[in-house]
Amino acid sequence: MSYQRTAQFSSRRQSTNNGWNRNQNTTRFASNIKLGPVMHTVLVALMITVLGLIYLTQATRATSYDYEAQKIDSQIAELTNQKTDLEVENARLTALDNVQNSSVAKAMTTPSETNYAN
Amino acid sequence: MKLEFTKGSRAKTLAILTVVIMVVFVVRLFYLQVIRHDYYVAAANSEQLKQLSIPAKRGEIFAMDGTQPVKLVLNEVVYTVFADPKVITEPEEVIKTVRRVAGGNSRPNLEDLVAKKDSRYQILATKVTRKQAEMIKQQDLFGVGFQQDSQRVYPEGNLAAQTVGFVDGDGAGKYGIEGAQNDRLTGKDGMLQSLTDISNVPLTIGDKNVNTPAKNGDNIVLTIDRNVQAYTERALAAGLKRTGATNGSVMVMDPSNGKVMAMANLPTYNPGEYNKVQDIAVFNNGTVSAPYEPGSDVKTLTMATGIDKGVVQPDSTYVNTDFIKVADRTITNATKGQTGTIDFQKAMNYSLNTGFVTVAQRLGDGNNITLGARNTMYDYFYNKFHLGEITGIGVSNEAAGTVISPKQQDGGAVRYSNMAFGQGLDVTMVQMCAAFGTIINGGTYHYPSVIAGILDDTQQNFTADPAKPSEENVVRVDTSDKMRKMIHGARSAFYADGDKKGYYIGGKTGTSQTLRDGKYVDNETVGTYLGFGGAKGEMPKYVIMVQVSGKNMNLGGGEDAMPIFTDISNWMLDYMKVQRK
Repeated sequence: MSYQRTAQFSSRRQSTNNGWNRNQNTTRFASNIKLGPVMHTVLVALMITVLGLIYLTQATRATSYDYEAQKIDSQIAELTNQKTDLEVENARLTALDNVQNSSVAKAMTTPSETNYAN
Repeated sequence: MKLEFTKGSRAKTLAILTVVIMVVFVVRLFYLQVIRHDYYVAAANSEQLKQLSIPAKRGEIFAMDGTQPVKLVLNEVVYTVFADPKVITEPEEVIKTVRRVAGGNSRPNLEDLVAKKDSRYQILATKVTRKQAEMIKQQDLFGVGFQQDSQRVYPEGNLAAQTVGFVDGDGAGKYGIEGAQNDRLTGKDGMLQSLTDISNVPLTIGDKNVNTPAKNGDNIVLTIDRNVQAYTERALAAGLKRTGATNGSVMVMDPSNGKVMAMANLPTYNPGEYNKVQDIAVFNNGTVSAPYEPGSDVKTLTMATGIDKGVVQPDSTYVNTDFIKVADRTITNATKGQTGTIDFQKAMNYSLNTGFVTVAQRLGDGNNITLGARNTMYDYFYNKFHLGEITGIGVSNEAAGTVISPKQQDGGAVRYSNMAFGQGLDVTMVQMCAAFGTIINGGTYHYPSVIAGILDDTQQNFTADPAKPSEENVVRVDTSDKMRKMIHGARSAFYADGDKKGYYIGGKTGTSQTLRDGKYVDNETVGTYLGFGGAKGEMPKYVIMVQVSGKNMNLGGGEDAMPIFTDISNWMLDYMKVQRK
């Protein structure tokens, strides 16, 4: 005759939901110190203060990044202006009047005849 | 244990006082934070929330240098130097430094400006370059500030001034491309809305920050080739000096696509110093803005019409008596003596008015310029060659000119007999070049254009401007072949001595009488020359039109305008590397 399980059950040892483990006491620790309503209020206020300080720190840090970004933007603007200046200078130096009056151009001669390969 | 106050005790009084104070605080805070919430938010925003405009960069203008675009108009960062006279501590040093560094850009009365102690803002110098501004900044002058601005720079000076135009003090483009394409060049300013600190540094806190980037203006690339433009201007200047003419214009166009390679006008000006110009007429681009009676150049179009309609051929003949009657008018030739039976090639060579009035008559019943003949001429001149019509070339102040329709009261036979040799209609040089290009390029009308396309912000990627579709078969190919040969013949007859040998050059003179108060005057004529050049048997490489004029001066197409054409034409053959045949 074979044995057949008739009901599902969970072993107390297998269960981890209750936090019990092998060789541990099964009674919870109970402190004798009791916090009253005033202490609770103070602790909540402290927590709010700490959270506020954390928020302020982060916000200040973000603002300091803004200043960094502003500095970099200024540098970019300055470099862009320098680039523009150089482009203008380049355009002036390569203007036809300048090129034609250059020593190289003045040394050039007109060919008597021109033939093209293609 | 129940806490109890003794009646009238100090503790009780203190407690009541505390509660009252708390109530006052709560009520006040409720009033400030809830009832007046919107007011204070608005007040805070008005101080902390800043809207800064991000100026769009005005697009630059490029010309071609062969196949490469080169900058013709750029932007330069400049500064306005200002002072707060109320807080200046070293006025003498400020004056000395600004005058030494800014030079001519400083205001002449610096002493007076700095002495205005009741003023908080006085401009000491304008258009100061970045380097100059740096030099002034190094002096660390208290009460002196800088305002960044942008100005147009024209490194090529006067080159293509009327084509380019200029930007006025308010930043608006005037004349030329700057004027006509102002919207494209301007772009769209962006916006930065942000909470800022006391130094106006944008902060990322808050939920009202908006950053809309500026859209820079288009970088427009012109079809103008700066080398062709420069040579054309030099040749025109030399031509005016030689002839004594005071005004001149030249247009160089590629007949295979209508792209303008040069538009030169004299007198001219420097767009960077437009405010020094005395006569604002120099701002106008004569090649597109000044309609005139084209004179004998139109004979090429009349002949093309006659050939295309099959009523004449270059070797067809007519009897030339040096005059011809149309209604109650007698039309005479400017050049007399070629009487007898002559062909139309000879009429073209000698530019005989009678020959082209005859063509107009043959478009009718052979003896009269009938309504049918007039309709045909109008169809070719106006509808096909687009004379008297805005071409849409893309520069400002383009004029349409006038071609009178046969339906109009004064569109009769006399009008059309005059139109056959270039009087009685007003056209612009660009219209003439485009029409002339059509009759020598195989018969396709290309709308003239001066804008090739745009370069993106990196100035590396080019996008071609959509061109108006060309109109094919305006005249038949064989008509065009005959016209090319005929115009070449007209040049070869009298004017080919200066041409480089081995090339195929053609051209037609034009000498137009000037209308003053509705009447032709005898002491003023405008000389023009319209021609093409290239290798024999190939599509012409260029069309050049020259116009010279001067007040109370009789200038001729052959004597005054033609040598300028020859000069430019010979140079163009080398520049375009046209193979001699």
